[in-house]
Amino acid sequence: MMLEEKNRGGNKPTAARPDTAGDKTVIRSLALGGLLGGGGECAVDVKDGKILRVRPFHYDWKYDREALNPWKIERNGATLQPLFKALPSPFSLAYKKRTYSPNRIKYPLRRVDWDPEGERNPQNRGKSKYVRISWDEATDLIASEIKRVHQKYGPLAILTQGDGHGECKTIHTPHGHQARLLDMMGGFTQQVRNPDSWEGWYWGSKHVWGQGSQGMMRPADNVLKDISEHSDAVLFWGCDPETTVWGFTGQYASRICYFWRDAGIKQIYVCPEVNYGAAVHADKWIPVLPNTDAALQLAIIYIWLKEGLYDKDYVATHTVGLEKLAAYVMGEEDNIPKTPEWASEKCGVPPWTIKAFARYLAEKTFSIAHYFGGSFIRGPYSHEAGRLECVLLAMQGLGGPGVHQWQISYIGMPRAKGVQDTRFFNTALSERLRVPCDSTIFGWGKQLIPKTLIQDAILNPPIVFWGDGGIESPPEDQFVKYTYPIEKEKGGTEIHMIWTDTPCRITCWNYGNKTVEAFRHPSIECVVAQHPWLENDCLLADIILPVNTNMEVDDIVTNTRQGVHFQSVTLLNQAIKPVGESKSDYEAVLEVAKKLGKEKEFSEEKSIEDLQKEVFDSMALGNFISWEDFKEKQYYAFPTAEDWEEDTPGLRKFYEDPENNPLPTPTGKLEIYSERLAKHFPDDHERPPIPKWVEKGITHDERLSSDRAAMFPLLLMSNHGRWRVHSQADDISWTRETPTCKVTGPDGYKYEPVWINPQEAEKRGIKDGEIVKIVNERGIVLCGARVWERVMPGVAYVDHGARYDPIAKDVCRGGAINTISPLGVSSKNAAGQATSGYLVDVQKIEPKEWARWREENPAAFERKYCPDAGLHFNGWVEGGNE
Amino acid sequence: MKVFVIDLARCNGCYACQFVCKDEHVGNDWTPYAKPQPDTGQFWLKMQEEVRGTVPKVKVDYRPYLCMHCENAPCIEYCPIEGAIYRRDDGLVIIDPEKCTGCRECVDRCPYRAIYFNENLYIAQKCTGCAHLLDDGWEVPRCVDACPTEAIKFGEESEFADEIARAEVVHPEGGYKPRVYYLNRMKRFVAGTVYDPVEKEVIIGATCTLAGNGKTATATTDEFGDFWFKDLEETGTYNLTIESDGKKKVFENIDTEKDVNLGDIPLT
Repeated sequence: MMLEEKNRGGNKPTAARPDTAGDKTVIRSLALGGLLGGGGECAVDVKDGKILRVRPFHYDWKYDREALNPWKIERNGATLQPLFKALPSPFSLAYKKRTYSPNRIKYPLRRVDWDPEGERNPQNRGKSKYVRISWDEATDLIASEIKRVHQKYGPLAILTQGDGHGECKTIHTPHGHQARLLDMMGGFTQQVRNPDSWEGWYWGSKHVWGQGSQGMMRPADNVLKDISEHSDAVLFWGCDPETTVWGFTGQYASRICYFWRDAGIKQIYVCPEVNYGAAVHADKWIPVLPNTDAALQLAIIYIWLKEGLYDKDYVATHTVGLEKLAAYVMGEEDNIPKTPEWASEKCGVPPWTIKAFARYLAEKTFSIAHYFGGSFIRGPYSHEAGRLECVLLAMQGLGGPGVHQWQISYIGMPRAKGVQDTRFFNTALSERLRVPCDSTIFGWGKQLIPKTLIQDAILNPPIVFWGDGGIESPPEDQFVKYTYPIEKEKGGTEIHMIWTDTPCRITCWNYGNKTVEAFRHPSIECVVAQHPWLENDCLLADIILPVNTNMEVDDIVTNTRQGVHFQSVTLLNQAIKPVGESKSDYEAVLEVAKKLGKEKEFSEEKSIEDLQKEVFDSMALGNFISWEDFKEKQYYAFPTAEDWEEDTPGLRKFYEDPENNPLPTPTGKLEIYSERLAKHFPDDHERPPIPKWVEKGITHDERLSSDRAAMFPLLLMSNHGRWRVHSQADDISWTRETPTCKVTGPDGYKYEPVWINPQEAEKRGIKDGEIVKIVNERGIVLCGARVWERVMPGVAYVDHGARYDPIAKDVCRGGAINTISPLGVSSKNAAGQATSGYLVDVQKIEPKEWARWREENPAAFERKYCPDAGLHFNGWVEGGNE
Repeated sequence: MKVFVIDLARCNGCYACQFVCKDEHVGNDWTPYAKPQPDTGQFWLKMQEEVRGTVPKVKVDYRPYLCMHCENAPCIEYCPIEGAIYRRDDGLVIIDPEKCTGCRECVDRCPYRAIYFNENLYIAQKCTGCAHLLDDGWEVPRCVDACPTEAIKFGEESEFADEIARAEVVHPEGGYKPRVYYLNRMKRFVAGTVYDPVEKEVIIGATCTLAGNGKTATATTDEFGDFWFKDLEETGTYNLTIESDGKKKVFENIDTEKDVNLGDIPLT
């Protein structure tokens, strides 16, 4: 028979086998958390100067498995152990597409109608195209602008935006080099990077349990073991362990969830949408309307109080102020008992489910898992949900066996031997290497503006604010009043120049359309941006420097934050030569420093290898391996500490003896009532001394009860993107093919998805795959409709961070949803962002609207665009379309 | 003989398998094993996903899908060119990119629609099991190396005897003897929540009896008043009876062509 004859096998290719290994293999950390830590470790094979492949790094490449001393946790016959390979996120494995992206900036650019000797045309930022200039011209322009601004207004007239996430590098870390240079020249005004995924804990929970870790529970050592051994259930309250974790270390949280399933630990998801964790791990999904979690939490407390279902002894010895909260919850204060029926009207959860949930939680031992957050913790008044979460845990014996708040895999993992600091800003490193990152961690500039208040600072100075908003600022700082500008005698001045290496305000922060307006203000005379890709705020710049990616530098990275299987330090040997004329962020600022006579001071005359060695020494790696051996192996992986199981879990010491192990609060207890808030802000109804439900206030009117809801009847929620880290990685053609990344419109453009429930779609006549507009008073964002059951009715869900593509005034085709998020911050005295849980409508687009946009801005529709990867460098460069 | 064993209950839908397949094959020419895969539009390994159920009883069903490397491969049978499609000693089925003439016979004949036609190169293409890597010392293909949950496994048939014994294949009725085995496929479910509309309380411990397709199953509502019947057949009609404290409710002719969420059910 023919088949047999052909099927004879052994039909090996006749030609020579191809070379699959390539010329060299280098190591990379391709997570996108950045700062001074790594994660997402990959091995990159390189051939003929091109990236051949990116694959998960195997820790046992050059070390014995036994030497790594793998740990083990067991429950009910299930076992969790680390693997000997890293689990990089899918976009890390696709990173070659970012390095070779068609959106890469290939050479320095100047805005075509920005003339420092003549007309600067600030009103054309975001509209005009760019022309190619040389590095020499670009750095001359920047140096002369710095000198001019310094002379005319003083050093503090330059605003640095040098903060946030990015690629994992150390010497060439993506942010803050310009601040280090300007600090050598008299100072700068700093955009202080506020929390952008944990606002509610930062502005709320800190007033209950003290500083914590960015406002979240701390200490949190050894919590994985304690939850795994003692909890009956884990709540994923607005948490997506299959998304947010990806950006920082990879996919380990996924394995923890599967282990918990095997171990019989129930996983309950409380969120408006079937997020990617709920999609595969949820034993129970409780859909809650965006930013109404505080109502649900209050109703749970109501049931516990009414039925006596809480740990009264613990409350008596470990907390202060429950009686005041109880008076509010039971309706003694305002005649409104916070019953399940009351809450149900607001949060959309049926009263019977709320009661059942409350009793279930009281009966079982539970922890609450997060990995930063989306809808739950980033909305208007998010500090109330943040504080109420602490109260829920407090009423059930926080710190006891199996009762924790846990940033899943981010902290609380088995301890490694020899790692000095597992935090994201690695204090073990030398000051020289840490200074650039300080702009992300602290308010260290002489004049400060919280990131959420930049628009106001430019458009409506002076401004005042409470607390600098720096990630590591203590809760006490929230009672300090700041002004911008500071006093003239101290060098205070309004800003007139902006230097950003963080060009993502439009798409990542509050009210992006207002950012555009602020950048066009005539007081802003010069905007410099440096970045690898021509996107977002780059389009508002006057001078643009091309920066290279992780693949193109020689560096070293400390993969010491937890969530990797084995922590390590890896040498990043250059994989490929820089694309185009790009330089690293450090090198780009060094080029400017040369023009300002600051080269020696800035470089400290240290070579890259000197700095690599400085990292090796400051990490005390010499105790384990010689520098020569390290260079040869390219990495050192830390073994698990022998005695890791003895580490005290979480707040256990406080749980056992609160008098001798007080919390860092004024009373040393969990402050359900905050005397400090009462004293400093007696008239603040948006963040009162006890946590409350705030229907509306002077800062926000974004509830379904608002009059505005007649026009905008849906609550918009925004998470971290599945396929991006904030604004990073929106251009990978492979991720953009997935049904949750983009929706291909009939016009061939790939739109950002908006999830809506079939009931809402039907009301509006919207079909899956259709191009629709998300609207409110602040503008219009175009999206592709994803009509499905993964989201509850009443909600429009769009992830933030898609690339800005303006086609008309306040109209974004790229799906940058934060362009229309509220300007208002968390609340009156809390300058967090509030970019989820606000009113919009989703509507069909009329043909005449398309016609009007095309007429208003034909160039926007003619820009070069590649459907696979999206926006294209050439689209904004003069002559680029030819 | 090599096999793929894919545990669908451990697939988190991350798409790493789909992306690393592209990382390996897009822009890299592995002739004589394979010429480059197009950047977009074709998927030698494709993650499939389907949303199942309705709010609030919703699951997402993921399935990595690739060439089944059939023992009785129609692509080999119907290929008119001698040796253009062949099965290796290890069982992997390969389309020789240099012998393929672009007749598309295999594309049309593949019962799994796992063969793509590359218009630019004018050849048929598909998963090679990363044979070029296996021949160069790799133990597993890229998709397996990148899978974070070890949902996708690859190895000798004999090593997976236990898994294969309880696994399913796609289109077993065709007799193609595919070498990709799936474990724990999500079958149909019928679910709901039972509550007392007067007391506004869920009813815990209600007895739910589902009868149909010649079988009867029972479930008891849990702490949330929820009941779940899983592992139901895709075709069939069922009758559901819910009883608690002398109260009773019956749902007749529940069709499991789709998953069924009966919502919040008042029991009076």
